[in-house]
Amino acid sequence: MTLEVMLKTMGIGMLRTGGIFCLTLLGSLPLGMIVALLRKSRIKPVQWVIKIYISIMRGTPLMLQLLVWYFGPYYLFDLPIKGWRYPAIILGFVLNYAAYFAEIYRGGIESMSVGQYEAAQVLGYTKTQTFMKIILPQVIKTILPSVTNEVITLVKDTSLAFTLAYQEVFSLAKQISASQTSFIPFVVAGIFYYVANYAVAFVMERIEKALDYYQ
Amino acid sequence: MKKTVSLILALVMIMGCVFALAACKGTDAQNNSGESDAADVSKDDSPEAAYVFLDEKLGIESYAIGFRKDDKELADQVTAAYKALVKNGTYAEIGEKYPDIKDYLNLKAEDISDDEIAEQGSGDANYTFKHGFDLDFPPYSYRQDDGTVGGFDVEMAQALCEYLGWKYEPVPFNWDAKDAELTAGSCDCSWSGFTLEGREDDYCWGITYSKNEQGILVAADSGIKTLADLAGKTVGVQTATSAYDMLEGEDGKSELCQTFADLKVYETYTIAFSDLKAGAIDAIAIDMTAGAFLIANDKK
Repeated sequence: MTLEVMLKTMGIGMLRTGGIFCLTLLGSLPLGMIVALLRKSRIKPVQWVIKIYISIMRGTPLMLQLLVWYFGPYYLFDLPIKGWRYPAIILGFVLNYAAYFAEIYRGGIESMSVGQYEAAQVLGYTKTQTFMKIILPQVIKTILPSVTNEVITLVKDTSLAFTLAYQEVFSLAKQISASQTSFIPFVVAGIFYYVANYAVAFVMERIEKALDYYQ
Repeated sequence: MKKTVSLILALVMIMGCVFALAACKGTDAQNNSGESDAADVSKDDSPEAAYVFLDEKLGIESYAIGFRKDDKELADQVTAAYKALVKNGTYAEIGEKYPDIKDYLNLKAEDISDDEIAEQGSGDANYTFKHGFDLDFPPYSYRQDDGTVGGFDVEMAQALCEYLGWKYEPVPFNWDAKDAELTAGSCDCSWSGFTLEGREDDYCWGITYSKNEQGILVAADSGIKTLADLAGKTVGVQTATSAYDMLEGEDGKSELCQTFADLKVYETYTIAFSDLKAGAIDAIAIDMTAGAFLIANDKK
């Protein structure tokens, strides 16, 4: 296999990896916020359900969760799973990452001092206004470094999609390595992950700087 | 803004350099491999090949096509069509393309009578045959030099569908999850160098089309000549392979395995082979066909 063919083949895998990455972020960043707010809900049963959800998502390997999402419908409900492979991968990643993001958001929200809420109340803000206009902007600023961490982990975790035989960049690297008896595909995959993460870190740093308006 | 642009430019340049370096290395490797291919031929003639199989084998097994237990009808249909492909020479023709395994393909056209074979175009034209296979298993099913999916089993399955008039759908799966994929119906069969022995009751078996011997691969200068010499040595094997089952299983060669200093279980044979080359392990227990492929593609 020439290097050109290898790069071309793996390039398709990189696009697929990028697809998982984007869809996961698109789903889990907002979902995480919903989960974080439900976690602080005054209705106790809701709190319990969310606590159990977060505990399971964080307490079991993502690889296992992917297998359950894909094969679960068949084994539990006897449903046909044709065409379910990709949705199952995205569902698995979104639900898992939403749990982590939810805890990051919660940490950010709870770090806000009571004074902020009191001041907002004095100024006549409603609860929703207080959250959207006063608390949330500050929370976002505080949690950005932790979010960056999680996003970088996500780039590397996409390789777990190989469990469900999705032909992303790491699966392809493994296959090409097996057929070419060579480690070069892994080197190419490594460079890809590094460059992707460098880009993520770079973009997040820009966003952090842009939000640094009090300095 | 200017800073951003310059940073992005720098990044692109670094990437360019890295890829250019990799490319140079790649062409070097190719040139070298061209030379070493020539060298290999001479090596094969002399007894000085760098890696050799022990004369004593671990065992002989066979590859067959596995179907769901309740899918006897499909298994019979595929078997009849496979026999037709053996009879009309397609089997031998495709086998010629894979010299590493040619000797192991043991079906003969003259052994097959005309009443066993399926008629051409006798399949339901609306049926899609979902061929489940592992992409890490050269040369039966793997990613080929041009980046496409291929291999002996893949070509046979395609020829078989064409013969019957079925539509063909490749379903690459993760080998560890093959049973789940098969049971859940995302594929119709497990057909990729799939060993029959030890799994007789777990599947409805179609035709047995290839022999499969497990052997021990060692460095030619290691001094290991027999299975008994492996006592106190470190042996590598790939997880979930028949060589692994044989060494770890109760009725196989577990006694032999106990004489080893250690049995190292790898994700792929490529990594195990690198470890052998680096001298970290003394031997590899492997299917002869897969081992022959590793030796043939050993670039250094």
